Amino acid sequence: MTEYEAVIGLETHIQLNTNSKIFCSCKADSWDDPPNTNICPVCTGLPGVLPVLNRKVVEKAVLLAAAMHAEKIAPVSYMDRKNYFYPDLPKGYQISQYDRSVAKGGYLDVPMPDGEMRRVGIHKLHIEEDAGKTVRQRDCRWIDFNRCGVPLIEMVTEPDLRSADEAAQYLIRLRQLLRWIGVSEADMERGQLRCDGNVSIREKGTAVLNTKTEIKNVNSIENLRDAIAAEIERQIRTVEAGEEVKPWTLDWDDNTSTLRKMRSKETEADYRYFREPDLLPVVLDDSWREEILKDLPELPLERRQRFMDEYDLPQYDAEILTEDRSRSEYYEKTVEAFGGDPKAVSNWMMNDVLRMMREIGKGADELQLKPDFLASIIKAVVDKKITSNTGKKLLEKVEQSGRNPEEIIEEEGLAQVSDDSALRPVVETILAANPEQVDAYRNGKETLIGWFVGQVMRESRGKANPQLVKQILEEMLNSE
Amino acid sequence: MADEITQEIFQHLVDLAALELDAEEAEYLLKELNGQLKAVRELEAIDVDSNIETTSHGVPYTEKIRPALREDRIEAFGNPEAIMEQAPDVEDNYLVVPVIPHTELE
Amino acid sequence: MKQSLSDMPAHVLARAIRNGEYSAEEVLDAAINRIRAVEGRQPSLEQYELQPDDRDKVHAFITLTEERARKQAQKVDRKVAEGKDPGKLAGVPFSVKDIFCVQDTPSTAASRILANFSSPYTATPVQRLETAGGLNVGKVNLDEFTYGSSNESSAFQPPVGNPWDPSRVPGGSSGGSAASVAAGECALSLGTDTAGSIRQPAGFCGVVGMKPTYGRVSRYGLIAFASSLDCPGPVARDVTDAALMLEVIAGADRHDATAAVLDVPEYTAGLERGVKGKRIGLSDDYFMVKYPDPETGELVEQPIQPEIRERVLHAADRLADAGAEIVEQIPMPHTHYGIPVYFVISRVEAASNLHRYDGVKYGYRHPGQVEELAELYRKSRGEGFGLQPKLRILMGMYVSAAQYEKNYYQQALRARTLIRSDFDKIYDPEGEYRLDCLLTATTPTTAFEIGQVYGDSVLMQYADLLTVPANHAGIPGISVPAGFDSNGLPIGIQFLGHDFDEQTLLQTGRAFELATENEDWRQVKPAVLRGLS
Repeated sequence: MTEYEAVIGLETHIQLNTNSKIFCSCKADSWDDPPNTNICPVCTGLPGVLPVLNRKVVEKAVLLAAAMHAEKIAPVSYMDRKNYFYPDLPKGYQISQYDRSVAKGGYLDVPMPDGEMRRVGIHKLHIEEDAGKTVRQRDCRWIDFNRCGVPLIEMVTEPDLRSADEAAQYLIRLRQLLRWIGVSEADMERGQLRCDGNVSIREKGTAVLNTKTEIKNVNSIENLRDAIAAEIERQIRTVEAGEEVKPWTLDWDDNTSTLRKMRSKETEADYRYFREPDLLPVVLDDSWREEILKDLPELPLERRQRFMDEYDLPQYDAEILTEDRSRSEYYEKTVEAFGGDPKAVSNWMMNDVLRMMREIGKGADELQLKPDFLASIIKAVVDKKITSNTGKKLLEKVEQSGRNPEEIIEEEGLAQVSDDSALRPVVETILAANPEQVDAYRNGKETLIGWFVGQVMRESRGKANPQLVKQILEEMLNSE
Repeated sequence: MADEITQEIFQHLVDLAALELDAEEAEYLLKELNGQLKAVRELEAIDVDSNIETTSHGVPYTEKIRPALREDRIEAFGNPEAIMEQAPDVEDNYLVVPVIPHTELE
Repeated sequence: MKQSLSDMPAHVLARAIRNGEYSAEEVLDAAINRIRAVEGRQPSLEQYELQPDDRDKVHAFITLTEERARKQAQKVDRKVAEGKDPGKLAGVPFSVKDIFCVQDTPSTAASRILANFSSPYTATPVQRLETAGGLNVGKVNLDEFTYGSSNESSAFQPPVGNPWDPSRVPGGSSGGSAASVAAGECALSLGTDTAGSIRQPAGFCGVVGMKPTYGRVSRYGLIAFASSLDCPGPVARDVTDAALMLEVIAGADRHDATAAVLDVPEYTAGLERGVKGKRIGLSDDYFMVKYPDPETGELVEQPIQPEIRERVLHAADRLADAGAEIVEQIPMPHTHYGIPVYFVISRVEAASNLHRYDGVKYGYRHPGQVEELAELYRKSRGEGFGLQPKLRILMGMYVSAAQYEKNYYQQALRARTLIRSDFDKIYDPEGEYRLDCLLTATTPTTAFEIGQVYGDSVLMQYADLLTVPANHAGIPGISVPAGFDSNGLPIGIQFLGHDFDEQTLLQTGRAFELATENEDWRQVKPAVLRGLS
């Protein structure tokens, strides 16, 4: 029984989050707009129009290239025309980059579920413009140009991925990185991150590259995983049946979870690339390059490692805390403000704070519960000034009101009572009022201690220091 | 000198160019193309491997005269209706085109 | 006899209007009258049948925009009345080669495929002319998509007639521009020059035509032919007018990434500086047409029309008298590459620029039922494009196709560098020649008869041999009238200059005008005007 391995490369199109389009001043994001309202003569390819390159597009491309450890970021790169006919391409050519693109080479390290780190090579990174959208109708097609001219970065990996899962992991990490460095919102459902997969199979242990098929039109990471898995299966079946794998282009239909063969877009793939004469070469001099790269932050996996090293956190925690940049920054600011054990902060965040964030649908940078405030609350609990329950409730109170927790503690008298002399009378009262339970406890039912603590806490309206209460109870119950 | 573009190549070019020609046009165009290519033959005299630089424009764009790239500011065109008015077939403000056939995978 | 308003130079008119001597509406009325007198029937898409009147008339205009011009004239007159500045070109009628988009106006490129296209925006150079107070009287005819050197290949027939002899071509592709100015239908015209398409018709029609340096004037709104070669430029009856118009249209534009960021000098100031001490070159390479024999492929030489050569030498003498230093035998060895390079580079760009005409977004769409999209493309483009665009598209496809690209496109780019190097050498201030400009003929022949040459594209193309090198090199060039041949047909001479040194060319042209002010030939009027009262 032959063992096969899959050879997968991914081609991603990343929609940049600039304000305006790449060659004109229409706004870049028009996902929710009615058709053909976000257009101008330039992006609709009217006769006589000319493209003018958006500076920010170059900056974001360079930033991404650096984050992907590009082998070379070109000091001078060129825009080229890629000529073909398609109704969503108004000029009949796409302005792209062919042989002298912004960057070449690079890699992304992708941690796999099995713990291994897979380094996925990047072949090329280039700038290009987006085409419009086509809506299939029963007997015709409808075209919307709103999306024409949205700036894209096309990034092609080497065929370094070996399974549908790995492909999914790559996209997850890429999406994280794109949001992290602020070049794209990378929401696949809104078409801000698009991915085509190139899939081939070979006998395990060989190094050949066999005929590959291209999978298009997957609009979620899950769909990509399913589509690739299905295609690998199909290719294996094909080969085992003694047939050849043909270089088809396949369309994933997520309604039926099946692959369909597409007729190629252009009968010829001769794009007749030539230098775009309406644009000058893109010159990235040293000073501009430095200015752009000074904004390059510590990258997600670097930060994850640093959290593990510096804060002595397990990988699991560090992963969650560095899931997005604002969350990781929030965590660090809180740790700094708290000044105590970073693990305590981690616990609070991973349990209660994240839950609250999910419930109210806010990101870490949108919280009214600022890092300073969180640090205060944690400190108050650790110092036993308030109970941990009170602390948890305080999170919401601060988030809703935006007020300093210390103020709220003061105002509502939430401070924990840890004064021994104040607590003893309360304990005595409870014990006196519940003689049966006292007997039961003394006769061996030691679990009743919890009930007694609860009673005291209720009596004290939650303010009693539960550990101290327990101590006093034990002392009193065990004496005599 | 033999004609460089054969009927076959010519037909291929016509397809690539998304054109439809009648017989008379085709005859004229093929003849003209081959005639012009003979004039272009002159270029063969230039050494292909030479180090002659190629530029995209005759005029050198020095740093001084080169326009700066555009600032990332939104400025709406303000009249998308005028653009749509020029379209031959519109429905629900979409442009309408005939289908492009797909084939199903067995 | 009082000179008609229609024959006055733009700079005289503008000054007179600013001074209140004439009203802009008056000037417009005179232009409209002149148009009515000389135009003949309006060119249209209908099947062309030669009518008796046709070969007597100019037929320069595809679309007259009298209402637009009148509104502009009224605005100018209002401003003058209010003591406000009405602009440098106040009340000056101008025409626009119909290769420029003008808002709410048919902008057709003289093609069926855009015959019904009304532009949602206005080209920058036109905007500048209108803002300066000019009166936009209409869109003039051209070779379809500017592909041609005679104006015969327009989808709008009858073709433009040369005002000096309307049975002859006005030249092309800016035939309508040159003819409308020569016939006094307007004082100025905005044309485009990609291989000589302003200078050659200016030469054929006895007017001044200038190709500015590439990037001097914004191309925004210019329906593209060869993007790396196209230059919008002025057509006028004298050098001063050309200078004035250039002042208005030149300069950076945020809509054009190839428009140079460079101050626009006041070209009209210092126009009479003269040519004392200027070094003006003459090149034997520009007194002949060198091309490969279609049978043998060997390079053959043919001298240009002798009368033209005589005019060039005469001009050199007059300029020498005026104090210029004439430097002869300037070598321009790569001149003959001009046409083959042009055949390749312009076609590659043109084929690509014409991709957008597909019947989907604007313009002509095949009216019948189609099975699928590819058929819509083929039929719309097949029916909408004339022969000349089809020829360029196919050539462009061929020489840029992957397997031939290296031999053709890349080679052509190298040859372009060589052509440029010829100019770099002669203009080098530390070099052997140190020229300020080169003096050449504009065309190898004078205007030929309508129908005579059309159809043989190679011979038609060699009409551009003396003008196209400037397009490849990017440098500026100007054609000024210098006399007539024995058939009474205009002869133009050309000055070619340094990058962005239009100043020198205008000054030299002006010096030539002054030096030949009293020559008899300057008194001759175009045939179409001789019968007018």
